[in-house]
Amino acid sequence: MIDDKIKETVLSYAAKVVAEGMSGRGDRIAMRTKDGFCVNDASVSLDALTEEGLVELPLTTEDKEYAVIGRLFSKRPEVHAVLYTHAPFVCAVARAKATIPAVLDDMTQIVGLNCKTCKSATADDLVNGLKKRNSVLVPSGGALTVGRTMDEAYTCALVLDKASHAYVCGSVLGGNKLINCIEAKLMNIVYQKKYSKVNQENISKREGE
Amino acid sequence: MAWTKEEELRLRKVIKDSGVNLLKENLVQGTWGNTAVRLDEDHMLVTPTGLDYVALQPEDMPVVQISDTSVWSDGKKPTSERKIHAAIMADRPEINATIHSHPVWCSVLASARIELPVMSDEMQKLVGGPARVGAYGLPGTKKLKEGTVAAMKDRNACFMANHGVFCAGKDMDEAFEIIRIMEKSCREYIKQCTLKMTGQLEYSDELLFDYFVSKYGR
Repeated sequence: MIDDKIKETVLSYAAKVVAEGMSGRGDRIAMRTKDGFCVNDASVSLDALTEEGLVELPLTTEDKEYAVIGRLFSKRPEVHAVLYTHAPFVCAVARAKATIPAVLDDMTQIVGLNCKTCKSATADDLVNGLKKRNSVLVPSGGALTVGRTMDEAYTCALVLDKASHAYVCGSVLGGNKLINCIEAKLMNIVYQKKYSKVNQENISKREGE
Repeated sequence: MAWTKEEELRLRKVIKDSGVNLLKENLVQGTWGNTAVRLDEDHMLVTPTGLDYVALQPEDMPVVQISDTSVWSDGKKPTSERKIHAAIMADRPEINATIHSHPVWCSVLASARIELPVMSDEMQKLVGGPARVGAYGLPGTKKLKEGTVAAMKDRNACFMANHGVFCAGKDMDEAFEIIRIMEKSCREYIKQCTLKMTGQLEYSDELLFDYFVSKYGR
């Protein structure tokens, strides 16, 4: 049985994804539960999602619609929320099968040093693409983002969308000037280990984990 | 202390509302961005570090000394960017409110490190001329502070390289007008650049996406 607070969190963030214009065909919103994870039924889009549209599955599920999410929760114990969204600028980068480099400092903090488009949409490629990253792009699809809380996964999707704007628009502005790798790594560590820690712990209690 | 308790309470609410309004108007994501208001010539209220704007309460805002930002009292630990807010307030006595944030279109130009030309009379009036880009520096560093102060000379807004935008006004309402015109002007500039690069007459996001895919696609 899915905890009421978790249901409430999932539904409220599904509405936020829709309101931000990041929704599209095949969106997923998932949160870790005591017995596995809760996720929107594959047949229910985020704009039509209600409590009845949520299902709870074990992490070991082999259902191809949800197996990637189960694998992610198993591989990354710190991850409590997963989003698969379709913001238009993100989809443009996924269509180009490109890698978003370190264009903005908040991207390096929350998303990672860059965001790759993985080779294919298979569970193996997606889970590998998320190594040391909180987001990966699906070729000709959308973006998979993860977080310690649903708030962090959602913020990651927003920041990735902004980085995609910077990268796509950079093509008509003469290109982006990039943050060097060492500084990007430093910012990532400070954010993950220090800056966001207390905030994420507080949000985690609010979200019912 | 050269201000009244009533004035301090009012300004604490101004800071609290400024954070919420940045979120509401889509001018910030998550906990990033910070604002400040002047209390007197040597003191300001700023937002605390690393806490989300919705959860923040007016009493959480610390009072920071402008001439020595390591000195602060009341409230929670101040933002690490307080040195930039303080440097602008020390340099510009007419400035009473400052906003540092990372809205989408301003961030695009900050990432390309491109100066924004004057796009309208309104931008000229509010910003004071083309918006420059301050030198790149890690958050909280002297380099970032000095780059921002230099880029703000005779201007009410500037970009912070790969980081965001900084705006300053005589009060928080004016600082918000400035960040709004910066965001609007950046959007317009990108549209104009898209038309120039593609040779088309009408802008659409699809036009930009197709150009991007043709140039960067694998």
